[in-house]
Amino acid sequence: MKKSVIQSLLSATTCLAMMATSPVLAGDYDGVTIDAKLIGGQQYEGLYALISNWEMATGASVNIISKKNHFELDREFKSDIAAGTTDWCVGSNHSSFAPQYPSLYTDMTSYNEAEQLAGFVPAMIESSTIGGRLVMLPRAQFDVSVLYYQVSLYEDASNQSAYKAKFGVDLAPPITLDEFKQQAIFFADPPNFYGTQYAGKDEGAAGRFYEMVVANGGAMFNADFTPAFNSDAGRESLQWFVDLYEAGAVPPGTTSYLWDELGAGFASGTIGINLDWPGWSGYFNDPEASKAAGNVGITVQPMGSAGIHTGWSGFHGFSVTEDCANKEAAASLVTFLTSEASQIVESAGGSLPTRTAVWDVAVAAAEGDEYRTMALNAFKEGAKHAFAVPQTEYWIEATNLIFPELQAAILGDKTVDEALQDASDAVDEMMQENGVY
Amino acid sequence: MPSLILIFEKSNMSLKKIPPWLLLILPAIIILAAVILIPLMFSLYSSFTSYRLTRPDTLFNWIGTFNYEKAVKSSVFWAAFGRTILFLTVALNLEMFLGLGLALLVSRVTRGQRLLRTVMMFPMMFSPVLVGFQFKFIFNDNVGLVNNALQSLGLSNRAIPWLVDEKLAMFSIIFAEVWMSTSVFAILILAGLFSIPQDPQEAAKVDGCSPWQSFRHITLPFIMPFIFIAMAIRSLDVARAYDIVQVMTNGGPARRTEILWTLIGRTGYVDAKMGYANAMGYVSIFLAIFFTVYFFRKLNAARAELGMAG
Repeated sequence: MKKSVIQSLLSATTCLAMMATSPVLAGDYDGVTIDAKLIGGQQYEGLYALISNWEMATGASVNIISKKNHFELDREFKSDIAAGTTDWCVGSNHSSFAPQYPSLYTDMTSYNEAEQLAGFVPAMIESSTIGGRLVMLPRAQFDVSVLYYQVSLYEDASNQSAYKAKFGVDLAPPITLDEFKQQAIFFADPPNFYGTQYAGKDEGAAGRFYEMVVANGGAMFNADFTPAFNSDAGRESLQWFVDLYEAGAVPPGTTSYLWDELGAGFASGTIGINLDWPGWSGYFNDPEASKAAGNVGITVQPMGSAGIHTGWSGFHGFSVTEDCANKEAAASLVTFLTSEASQIVESAGGSLPTRTAVWDVAVAAAEGDEYRTMALNAFKEGAKHAFAVPQTEYWIEATNLIFPELQAAILGDKTVDEALQDASDAVDEMMQENGVY
Repeated sequence: MPSLILIFEKSNMSLKKIPPWLLLILPAIIILAAVILIPLMFSLYSSFTSYRLTRPDTLFNWIGTFNYEKAVKSSVFWAAFGRTILFLTVALNLEMFLGLGLALLVSRVTRGQRLLRTVMMFPMMFSPVLVGFQFKFIFNDNVGLVNNALQSLGLSNRAIPWLVDEKLAMFSIIFAEVWMSTSVFAILILAGLFSIPQDPQEAAKVDGCSPWQSFRHITLPFIMPFIFIAMAIRSLDVARAYDIVQVMTNGGPARRTEILWTLIGRTGYVDAKMGYANAMGYVSIFLAIFFTVYFFRKLNAARAELGMAG
């Protein structure tokens, strides 16, 4: 109830703020209809509720013609491009998917003043700029994985003494990936309890591998997009996954887990430490949904052997299609949905903002809530180390070639060297075939 | 206006020239061409191009047989091809034997047979996606029903990786497929059992045949046409199996359960390489054609044996 009152107040403030500051005057887009294809889900609805304010202020109306998750939207966008039916106007976008649609979306630079763009975290505007074109504006849905852990494991006296006796150091949440692995193996008691878990398939597996490679001082691709992950850093990273699997520190089915299974796993109370996204923080500490509630600690993600923290990140945004009949009106809607006032409303629901000023508002709003404050501080610290996926339209295709080879090494079908060589060869062939080099 | 009349007259004349039989089947030909022939020709054409969904201009980039050569040289494709045949063979035979057993049992039931037949059809009514999710949960290694039951009963003290282990993952998928579709065989074979004339059966009893001899030499030849019809229908279904595999494992892990359709689906819609996906599709269509021809030959042979050929 309290939350909805706050949201209503914020919503009204947003409306007033927009009317006061927007260059668009009431009635500017009278009779204009903007067709939109947006990401669907409960966590996104708070922002969509504000659309009526924009409609009221501009006289335009928004017709949401599709509401799906990003993987389904991705398939729909590709079909639209193939069929030439891209005359809808506003689409949800994501930093990991955006490079795949080089011709679908228009350059937003001319529709936004530099001052307006300066309010975003610079790295995100950089990631939204593909081939010199600003193809999306980020909304308050920023993702970087931080470390979740069960506090009781670290407070347990017998755990503390056993760990100290075995490794000669005090038991504390891990700072490095090596410590992470060591502790996960230490905590594991299969099949009742596992030290950790990881995304084992699709872009999730390749993404985790990617951030480990970077943290260990390597890179996925060279500047010309030839594969670079078949390196010492690559071997060190893949060996990390293999060691955890071989030691039984992760559930044996982890190679078939993705975000939902991982979230459910930590919430079941059977996972000790877990790299996961900010969106899960509320769920993990909800007594009705999670057995780990009241026992959840959150801290910055660990760093690799190169002293670099993991930080594979992504964020949601909105784009305007090239074929939109009224790009100006569509851009106005996108500007509104990603404005400071809108981000304040959206991040009040627990998601992370992509505007610098909104971070401070979120931290202030969490005052008095110990858990939320801890979470926000961890996310804020984690965001400092964030890096986006390599900017190639073939990223998703590359991940589809890489992750089965990672799985093959994890499950023992191939050695680490064989798997990396095969993955590197496959990506190299794909890049050449696509004329990248 | 005069030109319009001319066109009408001309078209009227040309219509008159079309033989009546062709005129009558023309609507069917047009509909078939629109919904089958044109898409088929389009996909066949695109398999000779570098067509990517996200770059429509590539549809006109003719690359000859490159996609076919790539598919034929790809070990991933042939592994998926082999797995699809294995999947097809094991699932079809299991469904056939279980369906035959089920039909024989149900045919013996004297009371409540109609209810049993209805119950038997329940699994067929579920969508394959739903069945996939159901068995994905049942076989989950950590929170799944099977592992929890085995551990609670003291039959296992470890989390069995049903959807990860090379053999178990394929077993789990086949189990789900068999659970859903065995009743197709059972219903068709049951129909066959009901159509068997009683005279030969009774004659066999009088002649002192054992139950096995009656089944082997009288019942089985009579129901063979029904079995082959079921085989032909199901072989096409199973050869196109996608939903259950996609939901349960999506072809993984490490391509251990990759079948043709998960590979083709990912290549076409996720990687957006529709030209290559279509080429793989055309190569694998021969799989479906082969099984169809094989079972129809068997069906005709069985019909000939019963004097039903022609």
